[in-house]
Amino acid sequence: MDSPAHPVSLQVKDLRKSFYGVPAVDGVGFDVVGGEIHGLLGENGAGKSTLCSMLAGLYRPDSGSIVLDGDTVQLRSPDDAAARGIGMVYQHFRLVDSFTVAENIVLGDAAAFGRKARRGVEERVEQLAAEYGLEVHPSAPVWQLSVGERQRVEILKQLFRGARILILDEPTAVLAPHESDRLFEAVRLMVATGHAVVLVSHKMQEILGHTDRVTVLRAGRNAGEGVTNSLTTAGLATMMFGSTYTGASDDEPRALHTPGDDVLAVNGLQVTGDHGRTAVDSVSFSVRRGEIVGVAGVSGNGQRELHEAIAGLRSSTEGSVTIDGHDCSKLGPKQRHAAGLAYIPEDRLGTGLAPGLPIEHNMVLRSFSRRPHSRAGWLSSAAIAKTSARLVRDFDVRGARDGMPVSFMSGGNLQKAILARELTEHHEVLVAAAPTRGLDLAAAEAVRNHLHRERDSGRGVLLFSEDLAEVLDLSDVVLVMFKGRVVGSFARPDVDIEQIGLLMTGAATDEPTSAT
Amino acid sequence: MNDSVIVLSIASAIVAGTPILLAALGEIITERSGVMNLGVEGMMLVGAVAAFWCGVHTGSLTLALLVGGLAGAGLSLIHAVLAITLRVNQTVAGLSLVIVGSGLSAFLGSVGSSPLLEAPNGVDVSPLLPDWMADLPLVGPILFGHDVVVYIAIAAVAFAARVLYHSAFGLSLRAVGEDPAAADAAGLHVVRMRYLATTIGGFCAGIGGAYLVLAVLGTWQSGLTAGAGWIAVALVILAGWRPWLALIGAYTFGALRGLGFTLQIAQVDIPSDFLTMIPFITAYVVVVAVSASPTRARRVAAPAALGEPYRREQR
Amino acid sequence: MSGIPALFDRVVVTPRAQPSVSLRAGVPLLSLLAALAVGAVILVATGADPFEAYRTMFDASLNGSAAIERTLTYATPLILTGLAAAVAFRMRTYNIGAEGQLFMGAIAGSWLALALPEDLPAPLMLTAMLLGGALAGVLWAGFAAVPKAFLGTDEIITTLMLNFVALAFMNYLIFGSMSFWRDPSRPVPQGKQIPDSAVLPAISGRLHLGFAIAVVLAVLIWLLLRSSTFGFRIRTIGDSHRAARYAGIGVPVATLAVMSISGALAGVAGAIEVSGVTNRLDPKALAIELGYTGIVIAAVARLHPLGVVPVAVLLAAITTAGGSMQSIGVQVEVVVLLQGLIFLSVTAGEFFVTNRIGLRPGVVAAEGSGL
Repeated sequence: MDSPAHPVSLQVKDLRKSFYGVPAVDGVGFDVVGGEIHGLLGENGAGKSTLCSMLAGLYRPDSGSIVLDGDTVQLRSPDDAAARGIGMVYQHFRLVDSFTVAENIVLGDAAAFGRKARRGVEERVEQLAAEYGLEVHPSAPVWQLSVGERQRVEILKQLFRGARILILDEPTAVLAPHESDRLFEAVRLMVATGHAVVLVSHKMQEILGHTDRVTVLRAGRNAGEGVTNSLTTAGLATMMFGSTYTGASDDEPRALHTPGDDVLAVNGLQVTGDHGRTAVDSVSFSVRRGEIVGVAGVSGNGQRELHEAIAGLRSSTEGSVTIDGHDCSKLGPKQRHAAGLAYIPEDRLGTGLAPGLPIEHNMVLRSFSRRPHSRAGWLSSAAIAKTSARLVRDFDVRGARDGMPVSFMSGGNLQKAILARELTEHHEVLVAAAPTRGLDLAAAEAVRNHLHRERDSGRGVLLFSEDLAEVLDLSDVVLVMFKGRVVGSFARPDVDIEQIGLLMTGAATDEPTSAT
Repeated sequence: MNDSVIVLSIASAIVAGTPILLAALGEIITERSGVMNLGVEGMMLVGAVAAFWCGVHTGSLTLALLVGGLAGAGLSLIHAVLAITLRVNQTVAGLSLVIVGSGLSAFLGSVGSSPLLEAPNGVDVSPLLPDWMADLPLVGPILFGHDVVVYIAIAAVAFAARVLYHSAFGLSLRAVGEDPAAADAAGLHVVRMRYLATTIGGFCAGIGGAYLVLAVLGTWQSGLTAGAGWIAVALVILAGWRPWLALIGAYTFGALRGLGFTLQIAQVDIPSDFLTMIPFITAYVVVVAVSASPTRARRVAAPAALGEPYRREQR
Repeated sequence: MSGIPALFDRVVVTPRAQPSVSLRAGVPLLSLLAALAVGAVILVATGADPFEAYRTMFDASLNGSAAIERTLTYATPLILTGLAAAVAFRMRTYNIGAEGQLFMGAIAGSWLALALPEDLPAPLMLTAMLLGGALAGVLWAGFAAVPKAFLGTDEIITTLMLNFVALAFMNYLIFGSMSFWRDPSRPVPQGKQIPDSAVLPAISGRLHLGFAIAVVLAVLIWLLLRSSTFGFRIRTIGDSHRAARYAGIGVPVATLAVMSISGALAGVAGAIEVSGVTNRLDPKALAIELGYTGIVIAAVARLHPLGVVPVAVLLAAITTAGGSMQSIGVQVEVVVLLQGLIFLSVTAGEFFVTNRIGLRPGVVAAEGSGL
């Protein structure tokens, strides 16, 4: 299984897939053979994930063909794809949290079950893990594992099931830098044993550094391809964004700000997570007016619990949260909002917005019980419609229609709707959790501009993001979270990227590092 | 000694608890796959009327149980279509099943010149094991004096517990109920598994109803389950979705239902209406107590995707 | 043979962004007809003539003023239990306990009617009865509402268990004891007759004022849900608990409030039945699944308070016709069967309201696409 008799080959020809009449993949083709890494590069929304899902047998293509080892195949289900040797490692892992590593690996593979067989499974898993440098403990439950370990389980699972073609969808999106390096070492070992690897990413450097050939996608179509060695950053950028692209925004001069008073102060905060364990462990920091504080960290290290506790959605067991001078430690979300907190939750649909309700309802989610939206307990639909129309216009929210549930709108427009509501109301500090996740380039850029504007207008911003580059790009102060603690704090210009990467995975010392 | 109140009460509790046990076991299997079927009461009623009809006409216990089970499975298939394929609200779908089941059973139970009103004389629900075993002191009546269905139910619990935790099928079933997206990506057929689990649940509930009418009550009467199906649904929560705990719980409820008989012999004077209330009050108190427990055992035990329809091509 | 699976493969289901009004009203109506059609098939299977059966039903419940009065009288408690279910279900709080809350309302209402001085002016007496019934419904619902609000206890189980307890309690009062409610002058267990001042006045023939009260309550509930901040809270919670908490809405308080409204409506229904129809605490006449039928009504009306009224009348028409079916050789039980079929069919119909069915490739209409 490790070295196939003849090199495996996969050709994808003119694949198309639409959702609700909107094409997501609109004619894409590429090919990959055993022993090489093929990069699929494109920005968010270029159709990469949909393409992957079709190769994994999860979505059925509307048209086009997939040719495996010279035969045109119909991938009817994930089972079918797996049986043909196509293994998919999703960006959002598909593991059953309450099961062990070994149980997840044998899931869907009846032959590997049974008590005797299970012992064999654990041996085989350990053998594969050693071979590719992907150590995990086969009997550990998945919910206890770190993000990096979960990814290893996903890869092992595919190798265990005999995958010859591995598709990695944005594998480094949630990894710390040195974890990414370790992943690519494993990938190289796989290629050396005859596997074909498709690396899907929106990061140009990653594609340039680790692939043999590249296919670039733009708006669901092929936008260029070539041998990696012959390509440059500029060339790839033109393919990705079109000829009008004028370079990344981090080149623009950064205005110098003198931060003001503390507008958000967190002191000794202690929060219990969903599994009953301490998720946020005596965290203290402050956000001043006119600065963006970014929280870096591998997801699952207490960031979610921290921002939920600041917003009042989760109770803290100890410590205090002070918003614009008011002690809000014991207050609910409404009072914290009144004290000057605007909050963009991680979960846009479901927390930030009520998915099944129309835009007018959602635009006044925070203010429906106040004038002019209601009087003495009765709603004024005219005032609500007026507010909603104004916010939609001012923040260029598109795709909303009267009475239509907001869940039918795109991610970018949902985020704009939340921003519109949160930034229009009185506030002194903005807490934004993963505000650009999953957005296309233009929408993400719009969100970042809003964050800049907030800072420039003298408010404070606390930014949480899994994307380290984004945190570094936007923040004046970078905090690093690991296992519920703030393990490092760096103020511009003394930001040490390497040190941050190590802190993110607990590789550095336990002592909090500070360059402030 | 074997005629003592305690021994007879325990023996009758096991018989009275068996229909609840069968229904609860079926519902555990269904819910483990992520489908919540509140229609147990309806499936039991339909199973009961079908089994009674079959028992009267054929006199065969095996055939009657089988027909009862198939009737329950047939009704559960409606729930499967509504909940899994059409993805309607599972609570509402389950309630509609109860009302259809009680309507259908009441209607069928009154059709024609009603052979149904006759008792199923031919159906043999006599003890399975030889008399000398049933006559053993103490353990005889409690352990060995029962008909075959009681033992089948216990065997089914053992089998289900084994399958759930120690087989590929059980692992797949639980995966589908915990995280259907992960199960789907692993190549499992989520829809197929859920249909199967729902149908098994309906089959078990149907047999439960069949046993109730054939062995426990002996005659058909419209609405004869009198809440037994709902007790079974509550029991699934109380047992934390675990088969063996469901067995203990079902026998306890069987004992509570038979309490009147026990107290009568013990010459305690309690109005019969209060005796009727006891199982329901017990279920209420225990459900509240479980949700109040600091460990939140209930939430940890519940399948993570319970009641949530799965849709693959979602964007 | 392979044609059908291939066809299934091509079926594409897409959620509908905005079901039109005609769809929202039309699909339940079609579902209703479908249920009647299935009912007809079952009738044929049992040797009856479905056309004759349905015509008999129509004559018995809707043809002539006496029949209409009877139907509307029967619809009165159903409107209230239908509203009770609709209000709670809107917030995805599944109060299945209207049945028991109705019994408790009837017990409290009849107690007040018997305990208060007989010569009390009728308006006072009736107000006391209805408020007492409502309060009893609220308290009984509270046994499920308080654990639900503060511990997250599953309300479906608790309300159901409480239904059985309430039924047994009501039976005890009349059949199991010589309670205050029981008429001591009769050897056969029966409730004491309430005084004339406690009897709801008639609107027309047998139809009593309770029907008007129920319709007014339906309008009030509709206004409350549509135009009040309370309705806004309920809609938000019903859609997403997390979004509601984010918006600063207190979910436990709203749960208590909604369960109280729901329980009060069911409790009033019980008091009205005693006052307008049974004139005594009569377990046999009250335990006719009015609460459970309310759930069917709420579902068919798609939880719309104004929709509850016509749907309740329709189901009342089917039910009151049950007795007349005997004359043409069809069992009374066909009525429960029809109710079940209607519920089922409307539940299934919900899918076609909220989804669009198409065939791939390329035939999926673009209307559902939001940018």
